Amino acid sequence: MTPSTAISLAIGPRFDRWLLERVRRLRGPAELPLTLEYRDIYVMPTRFGGWFGVLLALMAVAGLNFNNNMTLLLVFLLSSIAMLTTLLVYRNLAGIRINGILARPVFAGEAAQFHVLLKNPEERHRFAIRVTAEASVDCADIEPQNTRRFQVGQATSRRGWLELAPFRVENRFPLGLFRAWSVVIPRARCLVYPRPAVNPPPLPQSGRGDHGAAQRGEGEHFHGLREYQPGDPLRRIAWRTSARHQKLYSREMEAPRDDACELNWYLMGGGDTEEKLSILTAWVLRAERRQIPYSLEMPGAALPADLGENHRDACLEILALFRQ
Amino acid sequence: MIDPGRTTMLWVIATFSLAMLPQLLRMPLPVAAMTLAPLLWRIGAELRNWKPLPALLRHALTGLALIVLFLAYGDLSGRRSAVSLLTLMLALKLIEGYRIRDARLVVAFSLFLCATQFLFGQGIAMPLYGGATVVLALVALTRLQRNEAWSHEDGRAPAVRASVFSELGFGFRLLAVAVPAGLAFFLLFPRLANPLWGIPDTTLDSKSGLSDSMSPGTIQQLFMDDSPAFRVTFEGAPPGAEDLYWRGPVFWRFDGNTWKGSFYGTNIEAGARPGLSGAPWAYTVQLEPNERNWLFALDYPATNPPDTRLTLDFQLIRRDPVIQLIRYAMVSNPDFIDTPKLPQTLRQQALELPEGANPRTRALIDRWRSDTPDDAAFVRRVLDHFNQEQFHYALDAPLLGRHPVDEFLFETRMGFCEHYASSFAVMMRMAGIPSRIVTGYMGGWYNPLGDYYLVRQSDAHAWAEIWLPARGWTRVDPTAAVSPLRIQQGSLGALSQPRHLLDYSWLRGMRNSIDIVQQRWNDWVIEYGARQQARLFSPFGLEKASPAMLVGLLFAALAVFGAILFPLVLRIRGPARRDPVQKAWHEFLRRLERAGFAARLSSGPLELAEAAAGKLPGDALSIYCIATLYTRCRYAPGPPPMPDLRQAVRDFRPTRSAG
Repeated sequence: MTPSTAISLAIGPRFDRWLLERVRRLRGPAELPLTLEYRDIYVMPTRFGGWFGVLLALMAVAGLNFNNNMTLLLVFLLSSIAMLTTLLVYRNLAGIRINGILARPVFAGEAAQFHVLLKNPEERHRFAIRVTAEASVDCADIEPQNTRRFQVGQATSRRGWLELAPFRVENRFPLGLFRAWSVVIPRARCLVYPRPAVNPPPLPQSGRGDHGAAQRGEGEHFHGLREYQPGDPLRRIAWRTSARHQKLYSREMEAPRDDACELNWYLMGGGDTEEKLSILTAWVLRAERRQIPYSLEMPGAALPADLGENHRDACLEILALFRQ
Repeated sequence: MIDPGRTTMLWVIATFSLAMLPQLLRMPLPVAAMTLAPLLWRIGAELRNWKPLPALLRHALTGLALIVLFLAYGDLSGRRSAVSLLTLMLALKLIEGYRIRDARLVVAFSLFLCATQFLFGQGIAMPLYGGATVVLALVALTRLQRNEAWSHEDGRAPAVRASVFSELGFGFRLLAVAVPAGLAFFLLFPRLANPLWGIPDTTLDSKSGLSDSMSPGTIQQLFMDDSPAFRVTFEGAPPGAEDLYWRGPVFWRFDGNTWKGSFYGTNIEAGARPGLSGAPWAYTVQLEPNERNWLFALDYPATNPPDTRLTLDFQLIRRDPVIQLIRYAMVSNPDFIDTPKLPQTLRQQALELPEGANPRTRALIDRWRSDTPDDAAFVRRVLDHFNQEQFHYALDAPLLGRHPVDEFLFETRMGFCEHYASSFAVMMRMAGIPSRIVTGYMGGWYNPLGDYYLVRQSDAHAWAEIWLPARGWTRVDPTAAVSPLRIQQGSLGALSQPRHLLDYSWLRGMRNSIDIVQQRWNDWVIEYGARQQARLFSPFGLEKASPAMLVGLLFAALAVFGAILFPLVLRIRGPARRDPVQKAWHEFLRRLERAGFAARLSSGPLELAEAAAGKLPGDALSIYCIATLYTRCRYAPGPPPMPDLRQAVRDFRPTRSAG
């Protein structure tokens, strides 16, 4: 059983859609911080609550028919407890404050993780509060005067801003007979970078080599020979020299250090925009990984050559929001 | 698959175990064993991490359990067997249910099982049993809800409550808060004056008390049963002990071993009834459910309760079996001649005996009868025989063979009221005097606190009636001739040895006194129904409360409870707890104000300190000190220097500013 079926809704998805529309119409997107109050909270029986009610009704009919007062007393007590839990389930949710929703940027295709901060501003314990969305569930107790972070995952497919879909804050405390929940239409978004191309062309390097000594190891330029060491790639072995000396030799390669690369939209020729953005994204990541300073030039935006996380994020953001 | 987790599962098992306990004690041994086995296995599995049983074995066990159940009960339509089936199925669910849903099902049906137990008895201990079951169920359901909330992490919910007692306390509080509303429902929820459907006779399988036939040993069995049969409240002076013969089934036909009722006796209505002249006894009987049709009354019933007919032999036969506590008012008048003229058919029936049985008795009777032709003298002679010869009143009477009266009279001479009554009636018939057997109860324990007589099953008794010309049917109790104590002190007083380990007279006396609790419980709770409900407001001058009125009042009561609970339960903002730091700071501000410095509320602590120090330069140092301590309490990591702040504020005595 998957979690989503395990927490299947009491009434069904149609009711949920109707309710969502209602909330959207009546209240619109939530302004944070948002305190969950009585008009935001809905209480309905769960499926278990439903059939427990049927069981109680059967017991009541039998008790009434045979005028069996002990049975009736039991049924009435259980009904009163059930009614009491509607208050308790509501109370467990009411007053919780949604203080903020944060999300770190992700690449298209990855799941965006929104962090919803719930604060319990009161002196009582909140039990088993769940934040549920289409494809994610998170659950925690919130201690008095404490804030808890709940995760809401959301799949991404394309670059740009991803709006967080409406989610529910709910609980079924204490007996699971009723569910109290609040639909939150958040005003939160997550930046989605373009999906990095899987096999991008090599980095477009200027190859001027005017930024200091070349770096040995990886690279496209021949540097010299040295004795073979375990781990050297086979294609680097200088077979002719090795045959001559009865000893294995490897070619040493070098790459020009600080060979700043220019990532330039205009130099990429024609083709699909998204594909080009994917390639540029892959290039940004690769240049960052290899510590090669890179500059980015896009229609309407340009960043000079640089390195570092901030620079990378700035470049990725330009790419993510290109023509959006 | 989401496992509820070990501790939760143990709570679920505890709930079920408690709920089924009364039923378990009622089950035949093999069925009880089949119920306990899966339960114990599951407890072991939880504690020792045993693997689930293979499906084939589980199905085989289920099949076996059903077979055992069927063999033990014979048919499954009875109430006892149906509830046993439910119990067994729930127990078997334990060996195959590993999901939260299964556990919930077990808990919910345990509550249902608890409700079914009240069909078998609504004694004073039952509310305790019900309440305890509900508390356990609440704890189990709360835990299951928690596990379900964490179902995306396999139900590994963090623990909340530290001890078993705090969990039980939670369940108990939940129950306690719901009690007022539950009672309002109980009082005001409209009851049915007549049932929607009756109970088919086949479902009645826990009959108790006297039966529709008597053979040696039937009453002796009842003698071991101390449960109450009925309670009686007399309106005027109660009759003396010698008149407390509670008439029940009457038997005419004897086949040599068993006495049975007659067609005429049970189907023809009583002709003449006693009038209300003289000194009739008016009384009310509260009869415990016995699933039989007889009502009990003193000789001779002058009235019959509704839905009951009074037969020719003065049995009160109810249309439906008594399946719940009932109360009926009776008037009996001892001053009455029952059947002054005996019709021939009845006379014949009252003289019939099986052919060729008990030859020695017949010889004896023939000899006596030729000596004493007078009926009354003959009866006296027989009773004297019982009284003077070595007859014993005893429980452990040996079983009798083909000629039971012969063996009883000449050999064993040991028996119980039914032996004496039966032998006496046979001897009368041999002598040509019509006779019949009456069964019922004898005596009763007077409870002075409640002013009522308690009659237990162990007071069951059998006596004889003979028909004499001009006197009609006359009661003769041969047991009284043998053991006068039996009549004076009740059935138990006449015995020299206790019936079982805990059978002492002082203990019985205590139990009889405590019965008043049960009687009150019966009066106030168990008997509460449509009639009592309609009269609920008669003290306020409202003679008849209609269902609509009751429902209205119920809603009003619930609204009142809601009005009380809502502010308590739904208070969004709890009372602001007195934050000690804030308190100290306010004290500081108060002292500043007294010294002549009014702080602007919008300013921060350091800003405020600066302003205050400017106004009160003499105290600048302590002002800065307090402000720093305050900010440290509020914002610095580590333990707040709370005592220092408090001390500093306490010592802060600013001199009044000049301006």
